[in-house]
Amino acid sequence: MIEQLLNGLALGMVYALIAVGYSLVFGVLRLVNFSHGSVYAFGAHMALFFVGLQFGVIPAIVFSIILTGILDILIDKFSLAPLRKKKSKGIAALITTIGIAYIIQNLLMIFFGSQTKPFPAIFDYGYVTVLGISIKSTQLFILVVSLILLAILTYVVKFTKIGLSMRAVEQNQKAASLMGINVNSVIRFTFFLGGASAAIAGSLISGYYQVVYPNMGFLAGLKAFSAAVLGGIGVLYGSIVGGLVVGVSESYAAALLGGSYRDAVAFIILIIVLLFKPTGLFGKKDITKV
Amino acid sequence: MKKRMSFLLVFVLLIVSFLSACQKGSDTVKIAVVGPLTGDFAEYGTGFKNAVELMVKKWNDEGGVLGKEIKVVAYDDKNTGEEASSIAEKIVSDKGIIGVVGHFASGVCMAASPTYQESGIVEISPSASHPDYTSEGDYIFRNNTVINMEAKVAADLAIETLGKKKVGILSVKTDWGTKTAEITKDLVVKGGASVVACEEVVDGTLDFSPNITKLNDAGAEVIIVAAMYNILAPFATQYKSVNPNIELVGFSNAYSQQLIELAKENAENIHFPTIFFHASENEQVQQFVKDYEEKYGQMPSSLTAQAYDSAGMILTCIKNADKVSREAIKEELTKLEYPGVTGVTKYDDLGDAIKKFTKVKVENGQFVEIDN
Amino acid sequence: MAKKLALKNNTIVDWISKLRNYYYAHKKVFFIALAVLIVLTPYISPSQYILRIIIMVGIYTILALALGLVTGYTGQVSLGHASFYAIGAYTSALLSTHFGLNFFITVPISAIVAAIGGLLLGLPTLRLSGTYLAIATLGFCEVVRMILLNWQSVTNGPLGVSKIPRPSIFGYELTLANNGLYYLMIVLLILTTACMIAIVRSKMGRALKAIREDELAATMMGIKTTYYKVLAFVISAFFSGLAGAFYAHLIRYIDPNTFVFDTSIMILSIVILGGMGTINGMFLGSALLVSFPEVLRFLQEYRFVVYGIVLVMMMRFRPQGIMGGQKKSNYQFPSGTIMNRNTTQTKFSLSQENSVEGGV
Repeated sequence: MIEQLLNGLALGMVYALIAVGYSLVFGVLRLVNFSHGSVYAFGAHMALFFVGLQFGVIPAIVFSIILTGILDILIDKFSLAPLRKKKSKGIAALITTIGIAYIIQNLLMIFFGSQTKPFPAIFDYGYVTVLGISIKSTQLFILVVSLILLAILTYVVKFTKIGLSMRAVEQNQKAASLMGINVNSVIRFTFFLGGASAAIAGSLISGYYQVVYPNMGFLAGLKAFSAAVLGGIGVLYGSIVGGLVVGVSESYAAALLGGSYRDAVAFIILIIVLLFKPTGLFGKKDITKV
Repeated sequence: MKKRMSFLLVFVLLIVSFLSACQKGSDTVKIAVVGPLTGDFAEYGTGFKNAVELMVKKWNDEGGVLGKEIKVVAYDDKNTGEEASSIAEKIVSDKGIIGVVGHFASGVCMAASPTYQESGIVEISPSASHPDYTSEGDYIFRNNTVINMEAKVAADLAIETLGKKKVGILSVKTDWGTKTAEITKDLVVKGGASVVACEEVVDGTLDFSPNITKLNDAGAEVIIVAAMYNILAPFATQYKSVNPNIELVGFSNAYSQQLIELAKENAENIHFPTIFFHASENEQVQQFVKDYEEKYGQMPSSLTAQAYDSAGMILTCIKNADKVSREAIKEELTKLEYPGVTGVTKYDDLGDAIKKFTKVKVENGQFVEIDN
Repeated sequence: MAKKLALKNNTIVDWISKLRNYYYAHKKVFFIALAVLIVLTPYISPSQYILRIIIMVGIYTILALALGLVTGYTGQVSLGHASFYAIGAYTSALLSTHFGLNFFITVPISAIVAAIGGLLLGLPTLRLSGTYLAIATLGFCEVVRMILLNWQSVTNGPLGVSKIPRPSIFGYELTLANNGLYYLMIVLLILTTACMIAIVRSKMGRALKAIREDELAATMMGIKTTYYKVLAFVISAFFSGLAGAFYAHLIRYIDPNTFVFDTSIMILSIVILGGMGTINGMFLGSALLVSFPEVLRFLQEYRFVVYGIVLVMMMRFRPQGIMGGQKKSNYQFPSGTIMNRNTTQTKFSLSQENSVEGGV
């Protein structure tokens, strides 16, 4: 059972990393970025591509992080920024991100093929024994790396100047721009962070399972999205808790109920939580303006 | 302004859409190949298309069929029943098309097959495995293994060849996986061994640790995996990190070079029943593998080979019938005894083919035949 | 060059407004012509393929009309309408294959079962809104799919339901070839459209629109917002179930893979592309989105890349949808005059800004 818990935690951390991307963008734009799952797949494929060019695993991942971040900025610049400028409905932006998901996912399939491709294992040293429990080194690695990354992200948002501007934009775009904050560049930076975290998540999970395929972002994206909502979308630590809850419950569901139920469990928990706490576990209540 | 323009654009597109569907027949003989060319399963559809094109090229180089040039028309169904049934209508309304190779998933095949049956055009699916598929009608065939036969060989591999008595089963939750697991379970028990645990996973699962924990705790010595390579490979990798002594038995659907590439050393000693063996001494197979690798830079998988034979059978039937007619192909198919790369195909009344299986295992990163 | 284009555009605009004025002047003639066209379509359509696409357009129109009531008129975004579609399809398929019931008996039953599903999903809307509602509906859809996949004794699991009988009237089987299915679709479509128009124009329709524009204000005006929201969900689910039932008997084989997230997204895209809060937009939207993948077939593997680009471009240049903001104003323009486009447009954009809030 301890084993299942560890499996769930490692899985949950990865969901958390993807969920953070949803949360960041939702925070500043109030938009569910449906292209995030495919951006995650893009990150994994870029890492694979650079590994194929004999860059070594770590530099390949770094390149992928940068490229994926840039991709997310481009998405914002060419498709979402014009919509903001026109002040069109939020739902138009939603459909736009769905369209972008189609584009990215199908281009990945065309250029990389739809087959499942091998990815080199990262940090595989067999089993490590900690406090009498043997843990897979790859699991430990995922846990540690995602914790560090989430800490860095939290630091950036909470304690840096750009983080301050992000929070300002989150609260009131107009007021923020009046205070001399360049709203567009803040949004762009947020997208970069979202893309980068997606690339990290993509590379980590590909290294863990050693496989990559174009559609990998679909289910992972949906579950991460539900994790983000579960924790309260727009709240960073909420995404982490949400991710862990989804990961662990999935792991136990697969063990106790059978593998075919695991995908539903995350959603059932989500619905139950929402019934009792409509804005997720840590979500802020929206103030209704009259 | 833009409002009006987009309006106009919409109407022009609509009109184009309806006009583009009106096609004219031609004097060449056309074979349709349908499969997922986009979407999650594009690799299989592309394999179908490549294989059929290769077979048609071979025939055209020899002067076509009945002196006519053969053309391949490829359609994408995205592996959805909705699109498949529309395409089926499109295919049957084109009188130039005389046979269909395709549709990948059984569910998709079955959404399309009523149309083929009603209009009287032969559909040979290289992959459909649903037990009810061929009973749709006399125009519906498959060039895939019949689950009962294949499961028997798989159970045999586990119990006899590997000599294990405690069998675990992992299956993917698709029509094929569920059915195969069910049949395999019975056969294993009949074979004198015991099934200690059965696990199911949904397609797209990457994390098998809960399943592995359960299978391993139940004391399974050999796992029969009813899934494609994309599940078998990570499953093998993850299982062998828990228990390096586990033996694995797969099915021909997972017979693909990709499996060895993905699982690397963990693919060692996975056993398979298969009807297509790429290193076979059969000249036809060698030629096919050589041509395919030359043209597409990949090794053909089992399903690709099955598509290759499906196209070959349709063309042979035209030749045997000595006329180009949809009905004649059906008549000839029931009489046909076709020696192809997937063994000799002879259809029973339903449209299923009984085939001989080759037992294969992975050794030093290669598929090799097991002699017994 | 630009000037020339502008000139050309102007003539097009003139032409369209003339046509429109002509339409208002001769409404009856247009309706009769349309009715004749609908009746004759199977005879002038070049192949059954086209007819089947038209039928699929019809099914998606029903679905979009149903979702339009929830999303377009009430402003509640649902990402789970494929679940009602699935419930309808499965109920009808199972009833007719197991008990041999006629299509015309199974259809109302399956629509009602779907409506009960709508009630189950509608209840959370009492408390949820925006993104939280969207994800809850998405979750519901996944849960329904898991049930279909795992409840093997009833749904036959991943093997699906096969050999679903065709609908028949007094022993006369309706097929694609005898155009029966086409006319059946038309009947269902007219039924749905009529119900939607009636609802939208009724007191309920006004209440829904009030909820969309400002829920708090609507509550203050004494509108039972939760009651109407749940009712909208139930009605919406009812018609989605109807579409599902028809689909099952059209395709004759269903499995859980037909009713995935993509289907929900497709329906939502139709609603938004057609124009939220419109009826005729749903027809145009589904005609476009259903036929696009078929039209783009020649692009082969680039098909869905282009599809994605089309979605993005549409939202970029026409975020309110094709028919959105096109609703005819109460003010009837005297025939022959060209509408003053500037004033109408500002009016529309104003009304749009009011409804910006509450999106996903």
